Amino acid sequence: MAAADSPSAALRRHDLCTRGIRLAGKMRADVVDLLDTYVERQGLDASISVTVVEGVPAAAVEHWDEQTGTQRLLENLAAYRAFRALLAQMLEEQQEQLGEADAALGPALAAVLLQVSAFAYHLEELLRLESRGPPSEEGAAPPALSHLGLFERKLWGLGVLRELAQWAVRSARDLRQLTKPSLGSSSAPGPAESP
Amino acid sequence: MFSGWNWVAHGLFLLLSICSFQVSGGLVQSCGRIIPESPVLALGSNFTALCILNESCLDFGNIYANQIIWKIKNRVVPKEQYREINRTVSSVTFNDTSSLATPLTCNILADGQIEQNIYGISVTVGLPPEKPKNLSCIVHQMSKLTYPMTCTWNPGRPTFLDTHFRLKYRWPQENFPDCIPKDANNSCTVTDVQFFVNLEVWVEAANALGKAESDPLVLDPIEIVKPLSPHNLSVNSGILPTVLKLSWENRISAAVMKLKFNIRYRVVGDTDWMQVPPEDIASPRTSFSVQGLRPYTEYIFSIRCMKEDGVGYWSDWSEEKTGVTTEDKPSKGPPVWRIIDTSRSPASWTVYLMWKALEPFEANGVILQYEVTVKAKSSLSSPPEKYNVNATNLTLKLPNGTYEVTVIARNKVGASPPSVLLIPAVNSKAPVKNVRTLPKDGKLWVGWTAPNSYVLKYVIEWCLVSNSSDCIIEWQTEPGNIQGTYLKGDIKPFKCYLITVYPLYADGQGSGQSVKAYLQQDRPSKGPTVQTKKVGKAEAVLTWNHLTVDEQNGFIRSYTIFYKTVDGNETAVTVDPSKTEYTLSSLTSDTLYTVRMMAYTDEGGRSGPDFTFTTQKFGKGEIEAIVVPVCLAFLLIVLLGVLFCFNKRDLIKKHIWPIVPDPSKSNIAQWSPQVPAKHIFSSKDQMYPEGSFTDVSVVEIEADDKKSFSEQDLKPFDLLKKEKSTSEGHSSGIGGSSCMSSPRQSVSDSDEGETTQNTSSTVQYSTVVLNGYRDQTPVQVFSRSESTQPLLDSEERSEDHAGGGDSTAQKQQYFRQNGGQDETNTDRPCFERAKQISPTNDGDLIGFAQLQISSQSSQLLSLGLEKSTQEAALSDVLQMSTEGQTETPETAEGNPLLVDEMPKSYLPQTVRQGGYMPQ
Repeated sequence: MAAADSPSAALRRHDLCTRGIRLAGKMRADVVDLLDTYVERQGLDASISVTVVEGVPAAAVEHWDEQTGTQRLLENLAAYRAFRALLAQMLEEQQEQLGEADAALGPALAAVLLQVSAFAYHLEELLRLESRGPPSEEGAAPPALSHLGLFERKLWGLGVLRELAQWAVRSARDLRQLTKPSLGSSSAPGPAESP
Repeated sequence: MFSGWNWVAHGLFLLLSICSFQVSGGLVQSCGRIIPESPVLALGSNFTALCILNESCLDFGNIYANQIIWKIKNRVVPKEQYREINRTVSSVTFNDTSSLATPLTCNILADGQIEQNIYGISVTVGLPPEKPKNLSCIVHQMSKLTYPMTCTWNPGRPTFLDTHFRLKYRWPQENFPDCIPKDANNSCTVTDVQFFVNLEVWVEAANALGKAESDPLVLDPIEIVKPLSPHNLSVNSGILPTVLKLSWENRISAAVMKLKFNIRYRVVGDTDWMQVPPEDIASPRTSFSVQGLRPYTEYIFSIRCMKEDGVGYWSDWSEEKTGVTTEDKPSKGPPVWRIIDTSRSPASWTVYLMWKALEPFEANGVILQYEVTVKAKSSLSSPPEKYNVNATNLTLKLPNGTYEVTVIARNKVGASPPSVLLIPAVNSKAPVKNVRTLPKDGKLWVGWTAPNSYVLKYVIEWCLVSNSSDCIIEWQTEPGNIQGTYLKGDIKPFKCYLITVYPLYADGQGSGQSVKAYLQQDRPSKGPTVQTKKVGKAEAVLTWNHLTVDEQNGFIRSYTIFYKTVDGNETAVTVDPSKTEYTLSSLTSDTLYTVRMMAYTDEGGRSGPDFTFTTQKFGKGEIEAIVVPVCLAFLLIVLLGVLFCFNKRDLIKKHIWPIVPDPSKSNIAQWSPQVPAKHIFSSKDQMYPEGSFTDVSVVEIEADDKKSFSEQDLKPFDLLKKEKSTSEGHSSGIGGSSCMSSPRQSVSDSDEGETTQNTSSTVQYSTVVLNGYRDQTPVQVFSRSESTQPLLDSEERSEDHAGGGDSTAQKQQYFRQNGGQDETNTDRPCFERAKQISPTNDGDLIGFAQLQISSQSSQLLSLGLEKSTQEAALSDVLQMSTEGQTETPETAEGNPLLVDEMPKSYLPQTVRQGGYMPQ
């Protein structure tokens, strides 16, 4: 926390939070667009419900407003690290299923993957500013999909993207929460921005 | 000689040895090599190459390192740069690689004569890459989700080598593949970038001589975005006539970037854009209402955007869209003016009311009609007359008076404020002063000095003055607080405009003040045609016509007349432009002049056609001055001559018209032929048919009558007498008469004066009349005249001379007055002679005329002789005369005398030996 007290660290934290919020907002927008593309390309119905997705951290949480900043960051980091692996797997699956010919879905997935990775970097930086440092990746392997059928894989992908969209919303709120002086560990004020 | 052949043979052996060695050793084996092999060298550095000879070659050809020659291309490297390291290795050193070229060869000089290449390398000289500078990047939005980033940099100096550039970028936790430029060395485009994460970007340049990296650029790509411009722009009319509402779509997500905007607009037809205040549209939006527009006006709109915080780049302007504001009622009344025609009747006016259509920004819509109200100020009781007009003019016939005219323009929204024009009975108010014009910026400015009174407004009238068209009046109104304005119209250059300024007062109008002006002047399109009105000896009056207005192209400032003679210098005379006539003076008489005329404006002049004229030889009155005195002198001379003649009339009369005694009045005494003459003339009657002779006079001068003559009259006779006295000839005097009258010796036959005086005291005349004279009955009588009239000199002289020509010759008597056949020989009967002449009867009349002339000549000759005092001269002349008579054309020689040859007898002739020749 000592590092967070310095003005430069406060500015850095604020900058990271601000850009993180906007990145989360863009990521959500892109994921929403990707969902449309994904549903279209995979031949799914947009109204289909996916209840539980294996390996996908849930965005919903009880007592969200009671969480600390660090806790929020850690949960976000764990989620996005998971999404990074899931999206990489989706990208691989998509390339196997649709091939390189699908010029719309692949790049969009890759772009979202990059954003997830960038957001994870943001979270790690914020955690470093919290003098805690990011936890090491424990090598949580992506779930094996071989046992799933093709349709189930498509549904699984749909579930991942929907959950990512949820997480994008939550992450923006978490970072906005972190920028608030009362709740954040930093005293640097920042304008409330919606994703 | 032998040593030379030996040397050549040795050289050939060496060459064959090298070749055979190479062949025997294989195709790839040579006698040496160069180290380093194909080096890449930095420009300006030093370089050393080694040529290493194979040991095997030494044995075959006695080749050693000291025989090595280095060459660059075909140029031998100076041996100062060589160094023999050992017997098989030679090095060459270059202090500056810029002098190097490809190939660098190692050659051997066998026995100092034959050069053989051992090895060669290619040398590449270049520079290491410089550090790329000025790296900058921009993200061009290509679509809603595509954001390629293009970075550019300065690659630095040319390296002359194959240099590769790479754009490198990375996140702190993640590397990305390099961007390799295509077809360029100073830019590269990353296909997609992610925002909100700092990206480290740098450029790496590398070639054979080294590698260089630019300074890294750390940026969030969101900060360098040039977004796509908003699209689907639409313009809608608002409720208010001054508002238009714009709507558009943004093509960048608000999650990515919050935008601010610029909106520009302009009236259709204008070129200048106006902008909505940026602070009004500095927040994200998709619509905006533009206010403060003009009613019923078509506008063009365009919009652009950029990141809200101003970091990044503005997008391009969007496509343009137009919109029209709704109508509003006209903002002002139309300017109105009038032309009053009083020519028909002073008491009744024809008033041409005219007003200008409102400008679009004044009309605020489509003008449907104009309402004109005319109210007579003099008669307050009469109601105003109203007219609804669709045109912009109205012609009224009004009695002379003061009127107030009101014009209102109306569109579908409403009516304009009224425009009022007061038409006074007379323009009695103060006019403007000092109306002047000034061309400025392609327009014509009109200025004036305002009168002292308050002026409501001014009306400026103008029209184009032309010969080919009427003066069509244009006009404009200006507020009363200005004293100058530009004419609002199509003012053409080189045209004359008549500009009139009227001041309008609240209660009247001032008279107009006019001025002529040109927007731009030019040389006249032609020059004046000059011609002469009057040409004198030393002056000429030239006239010309003024150029027409269309030909002037400007104000004629002056005329210049150029005139010259054919070979003389040209003289120029400047003439006032108001004149149409000029008198050239000091001209040379009787000289051809060429004259032309130039008309000048401020911009130059143009010459008219040449005109030529010739000055007169004599001036006015000169001929009269010459002729009149000459005539007067002539008259004077004539008068003097007349007077002289009058005074000397007796003398003249004596010589010209001698008094011929009338034989009919003479007294015939003691001489009447007793013998009838019939028998004498019988033969003559036969010889001379009737009509051949009209009259024959025979004059015999008696010596006694001499006293009755004046001394002067008798003077020639004296001379003749003297002549006669000296001659031996015996003349019969008047041969004819002696022939026909008396055979006795006449006085002229006498050589002695006393005898002459005794016998010739009287003159005997005899007349032979064959035909009647003047209806008188011819009387064949011989009468003797007692007249004292002296004989004509010629007659007497001829007679005398004939008598004196040759004493031995037969005496001849000539009757000159009455015929050519009057030659008479005293020794021969006259009729015999007449008989000889008879064949010439046909030419009698001609001969008669000639004889008359000869007679006159003889008389004039006699006058001349009178003046002569030398007797000898007279004698010569007389002799010549006599001889002239004897001179006969050869054709007549030996023939009887021809009548027509008689005048020739007076021409001088050569006196033949022997004297007189009978004719």
